[in-house]
Amino acid sequence: MISVANLKKSYGDHTVLDGVSIEIQRGEVVAMIGPSGAGKSTLLRCLNLLERPDSGRITIGDTVVDLPAKIPVRTLETLRKTAGMVFQSFNLFPHLSVLRNVSLAQEYVLGRDAKAAHQRSMELLERVGLADKAGSYPARLSGGQQQRIAIARALAMEPEVMLFDEPTSALDPELGLDVLAVMRELAASGMTMVVVTHEIHFAQDVSDRVVMMADGGIIEQGDPAQVLSSPANPRTQRFLKAVIDR
Amino acid sequence: MNGLIEQWIDWLPSLVDGLGVSVQLAVVSLLIGLPLGLAEALLVASPNRIVRWITLAVVEFGRGTPTLVLLYLIYYGLPSQGLVLPAFGSAVVALSFMTGAYTSEIIRASLQAVPRGLVEAAAALGINRWGTFRFILFPEGIRIAIPALMGFAIQLFQTTSLVFLITLPELLSRAYSIGSTTFQYTSVLALAGVLYLLVTLPSGWLAALLEKRMGRHLA
Repeated sequence: MISVANLKKSYGDHTVLDGVSIEIQRGEVVAMIGPSGAGKSTLLRCLNLLERPDSGRITIGDTVVDLPAKIPVRTLETLRKTAGMVFQSFNLFPHLSVLRNVSLAQEYVLGRDAKAAHQRSMELLERVGLADKAGSYPARLSGGQQQRIAIARALAMEPEVMLFDEPTSALDPELGLDVLAVMRELAASGMTMVVVTHEIHFAQDVSDRVVMMADGGIIEQGDPAQVLSSPANPRTQRFLKAVIDR
Repeated sequence: MNGLIEQWIDWLPSLVDGLGVSVQLAVVSLLIGLPLGLAEALLVASPNRIVRWITLAVVEFGRGTPTLVLLYLIYYGLPSQGLVLPAFGSAVVALSFMTGAYTSEIIRASLQAVPRGLVEAAAALGINRWGTFRFILFPEGIRIAIPALMGFAIQLFQTTSLVFLITLPELLSRAYSIGSTTFQYTSVLALAGVLYLLVTLPSGWLAALLEKRMGRHLA
């Protein structure tokens, strides 16, 4: 489903991604962990080209992006339709109602008529447990509710892959639970998911694979139970100890 | 005191007519100047360097030149180039140009103040550049710009008093001409001041109200 080959990205002389390669199967849930600055978020943001990699190749579904060549607008649009993204800071559109947040791109990008978009939006709001908030504005909702709506908004584009960039990091632990519950349900439904997270429990329970990144590369990956409980790499051991001790 | 009231009642029709001209001038200049400001704000961010530089020059000229100089250039200067505009037309051209230049900076800064994450969210949903501008950047940016734009509009209304120097019969020139025949300058100018206030004060309240309403949904 996703294939990344030798992806490189640097800002000036600071290397963020140092030739990263990874294959992700359809339906697989991958949790990416690692210290901040490891390049997890950058890798994720390269997948839908919010960040432009310097070189390498990204394949998502049938869409192939070869860097550093110029990316055609159509490729960009297809890629972003295929991959939905959920941000750490939700990024709901504050001037639009919850319903409009979810339906806008359905109408504008997918060309759905208003009625179909409305219906699909309500289904998705139902799914994340917030159908009663359809008429509210984002500022009136808690962070956890906002993030669940952001998930619904991304799902409305019928993506084949969902990218999560630290979806619960801006939430206090209790509010994060509702978001994690929605993500569990999504994983169970067979969605291909890449989740950058510090939630070790979530990684352990829900993911099919844990990928540990440090210093712009993948240093260890594999079965969650194995990577999280008996990591081979000393850097991973150190990181997990720090996370658990907190 | 009775004399003063009688005088004021005598002068009022002429001054109210003048006020009408002032308001018209301000409204027409805003109707032309605001879209101009939006266009300039967008062109200043153009990827084309030449477009960017030309727009920047126009904006800096509009902001850097005293409005009175603009007025004189257009009313007295253009005829020597074979272009004669009536006083109202000249005033509209000068004030629209000035409005475009000032508001372009307000709008540009407001568009830049829209959180980057919203633009990214739109991009991640596959919304193209035009859609992002139309549905996200513009509506969010305008909300940020409203207070400053309303402030500018009130200031522009006061600036219309300058056009009495090109003999347009707006409020101040009516007051001045009454003054020059009656020598009651203080009295008639005070009345003119009151009439200006009758527009600027409610406008200020309206601005505050609008700001509150538009900010209703925002955190």
